[in-house]
Parts: sequence; C-alpha cells; structure tokens
Amino acid sequence: MIKIDHLSKRYSKTLAVDDLDFEVRPGVVTGFLGPNGSGKSTTMRIVLGLDHATKGRATINGKSYQDLKSPLHEVGALLDAKAVHPGRTARNHLRALAASNKISKARVDEVLEFAGISSVANKKVGGFSMGMSQRLGIAGALLGDPGVLLFDEPVNGLDPEGIKWIREFFQSLAKEGRTVFVSSHLMSEMALSADQIIVIGRGKLITQGSVDDLTATAKGTVYVRTSDPKKLISALVAERGEVQEVNDNGLSVSGLSSDAIGESAFRVGVVIHELTPQRASLEEVFMELTAGAVEYGSHPMGASSE
Amino acid sequence: MSLVSASKAEWIKFRSVRSTVMGVAVMVVFTIGLGALIDTAVRGHYHEMDPIRRLTFDPVSASLYGTIVAQFAVGVIGALFITSEYSSGSIRATLAAVPGRTRLALSKLLVLTLSLFVLSEFVSFITFQLGQTIFSGVVPTASLSSGVVLRSVIFAGLFLTLLAMLGYSLGLVLRQSAASISVYVSLLLILPLIVLAFPQSWQDHITKFEPSQLGQAMMSATPSANGFSSWTALLIVTIYVAVVFGVGTTLLNRRDAGASQ
Repeated sequence: MIKIDHLSKRYSKTLAVDDLDFEVRPGVVTGFLGPNGSGKSTTMRIVLGLDHATKGRATINGKSYQDLKSPLHEVGALLDAKAVHPGRTARNHLRALAASNKISKARVDEVLEFAGISSVANKKVGGFSMGMSQRLGIAGALLGDPGVLLFDEPVNGLDPEGIKWIREFFQSLAKEGRTVFVSSHLMSEMALSADQIIVIGRGKLITQGSVDDLTATAKGTVYVRTSDPKKLISALVAERGEVQEVNDNGLSVSGLSSDAIGESAFRVGVVIHELTPQRASLEEVFMELTAGAVEYGSHPMGASSE
Repeated sequence: MSLVSASKAEWIKFRSVRSTVMGVAVMVVFTIGLGALIDTAVRGHYHEMDPIRRLTFDPVSASLYGTIVAQFAVGVIGALFITSEYSSGSIRATLAAVPGRTRLALSKLLVLTLSLFVLSEFVSFITFQLGQTIFSGVVPTASLSSGVVLRSVIFAGLFLTLLAMLGYSLGLVLRQSAASISVYVSLLLILPLIVLAFPQSWQDHITKFEPSQLGQAMMSATPSANGFSSWTALLIVTIYVAVVFGVGTTLLNRRDAGASQ
C-alpha cells in the first residue's frame, strides 16, 4: 500500500505537486493519470525517496522509503527505462542492483527470462530499443519480488504485443495481492489496464475512483434506429427525453435509459432496428476533467498563448 | 542492508564499464611506457647534465616521472565512477536500491580506493623497478632495500590512490563529467600556472600546497628545502580529499536525485 499524505513539492518557482492526498491499495491495478507535466513522475520520485518532499510525505506500508531495510524486496520501480549506463550489459546492470539487496544471481536470470530478454542479456544496454529497455526496467522492478510496484509510463515504446503482455502482467501482479501503481498520460490505455484511477492536473488531485465510476459520471446517450423516427421522437419527448437526429432513421437520446426507450417504442408501435447505449469514453471524461489543467497545451498558430 | 552489499554492487558496476577498463589500460601502459622512455632519455644524457644537478639527482623520483600520466587517468576514473551515473540517469536506480546516500557514497569510495590502491602500487613498483634497470651502469640507482626508497615508491602509489578519490569526490560535488574532469585537471595543471603570477614571496608559501607539489614531496626520497616532508604531504592531500568528499556527500544527501540534470 502506498499512501500519499498531503504531499507538496516545489522546484524553485514551480509547484510541481500541490497537496496531493490519496492511497494506492493492494490487489488492484491503480492508474495514475494526468497530462504531461502534471506531477506524476515527481510524485513517483518522492515515493522512491529520490526527491525530497517540500511538505507532507509519502509512505510505503507505513514507512518512508529511506527507512526500508532492503527496499527492492518491498518496492519495485520502473521510472525511466533509458536511465541505465549504456556501456553496461543488461545482466551486469541487474546483477549490481541484485547484489546491493542480497538478491541471488539465479534470480537475475529468472527475471531476464520472464521479461523476455535473456537472449540479449549480455549485450550492452546502449543498443537496446525502447521496448527492450522497458523490459529490462520491468525485470529490474521484479528482482526482489516486491509487494509494491510502480511503473512510470511503462507502455511507451512497446509494440502491440508488448502492450498486451504488460496489461496482462499488471493484472496478474494485482491478482497476487500486490499494489500496482501505473502512470500514464493516455486515458485509453488506463481504461484497458487499470481498475482504479487517480487523475491529477497541475499537481492537484482532480478525481479518483473506479473506471466504471468515472465513466458513469459522464452523461450517457442511447443510439436508436427506427423505421418511423417522427413517431418515436414525439413519444420520447413526451417522456422528457432529449432527442437529436443523428442520421436517416437514427436518433441519439439522452435522459432516458435504453429500457425506457424500448418500452415507449413498444407502446406506440414503432419498430426498432437498433438500440445501443453509448458510454462516454474514458478519454472524453479525462479531457473534460483535465481541460483546465493542461500544462503544455497546443494553441492555434499565430494566436498568442495566455 | 549493509555497506558490504552496497560495495559488492559498486564493484560489479566499477568493472563492468569500458571507461574503467580504458582508464586502467591507459594508466598502466602509458605510465610504464612513458616512464621507460623518460628513463632511457635520462640515461642517454646523464653525462651531459651539469654537476650540481647530478649531485642532487634522485633516482627514485626520476624513475617515477611516468606516474604523471597516471595522475590524470586515476582522476578521470574516479570522477566518471559517479558522474556517469548522473549522465546516464542510472543514479535513480542506484538510489532506489540503496536509499542511504552516505552509505552509497562510502561504498563507491571503498571500491574505488581498494582497487586503485592495488593498481597504483602495482604501477609504481613496476615503473620504479624498470627505471632502476634502465639506469643501472650509467646513472646512480636506488634499491627497495632502503627504507626511504621503499616508502617513496609506496607513497607514489598512495598519491595516485588519493587522486582517484579526489576525482571521485569532485564528481560527487559537480555531478557532470566534463565539469569534474576540467576542475580536476585545473587543480593539477592550471593552478601551478596561476600561482606563478603571484610575487615570489607568496609563491614560496603557496606552491608547496599545490597537489602536484605535494605529490612530488610524497614520492621523492630527498625532500626539497622548500616543500613538506613526505608524511606531512600525505596528511595534507588526505585532508583535501576528506574535505571535498565531505562536501560531496553532504550535497548528495541534500539534493534531489530524481530530476534529470
């Protein structure tokens, strides 16, 4: 379990993290979402004791990172996959990390095998592709078989097969009862791989909850296709639905459930060809939530920013 | 988690990169090679030397001239040992594995000091012996059976070890390879040139504190009139290293290590 307790971090003038307060529970994959520059990586670095908090604190299983006796056995992290000495081989990189926490050489070979990079274990890391580096980083995070895992943008640079692999991998770690905390700036990715989501923008907590809760907060619509749109529209409006004509014979209805629409169509004797609830995509929810909190937004050319 | 396991990790890191291997190769080959070259030149021209210089000729420090190259190599090896962690970003993985920063600084120092001590003593003894072999017959020679000579050769190795520690400590403070190496080289080469601009009366007091002069004092069998004794020189260089290392470790503890440079 990771606990972020009223955490703030100031770098000279910028307040990168602003009074963040949340918990990451074991047994589920928790997504940590926010636009670029919103303070995700800073928060993760503070959890790992790399950066010092300006205010508040971050604890792992109740302890500060600095107080962990053998940290790799409790926490595994992948922050920046390319942050490895380019002249060192993958195996030596892992062996050094392992030695510092009294982890055996056999375990090094095990995680190399698991991450699928055994065949390049004796190659220098400098020649690795982003995907291979991510796999090396994941191998490093698993070295001490930790109960808490942090991954900062782990999907970057992975090919589709790798992405599928890593999603299943996160889920399996969570099923084993581990705490899995994964950051991303892509809501669509989190919608597929996370159960719980924490959304931040400009260092502040925007919202948190389950993926289902978040999508439920957005207004849903129902798409209806019928042979007699006029008759159905008047029936639906009578029941206080909001109806928009989307295309020939196709309507978008909000304010009524698909059940209610089906029943009123039955009462007025209109044939329905299609009746589909449209869930607002998590991506849309995310855009809506973080609209005011984008650090590096794009602006039309020629227009002045601010 | 102990200093021992942290040091084991650092030992793996130290020997698994090319900069260390190259640095060591440069140090061994050039020091011994250049030493032999200088010694051969001294032998060839010894009879042309003026009598006063011949009288004060010190076969020990003459045979150890080659270690000048090593002085640069060891500083670079030491500095890169820490600055490469910052340039590659691996410092984050390192500190995540060893969160105790003083322990990390000490474990690196330990690995560097032990390995460079063995290496430096090896180079010093080989250079010295080779020099005496080249000198023999023409130039006066020295023997390790003399206590003073033995001390000089051991101190030559010690001086190199301390310089490696100094380079590493500068790296801790500055975190960037180029900056650390520049400052290190400046201390050895540029500082004496700056001192030359001062009035002679000042120079007499300052020069003997220069690292290069202290090194000379440590490795010569016959101390110069204006310099420190070899033991005092050893003490002063050790204090230099301790101060810079102390500052570097304090900074390592205080600074954020996460954000890239």
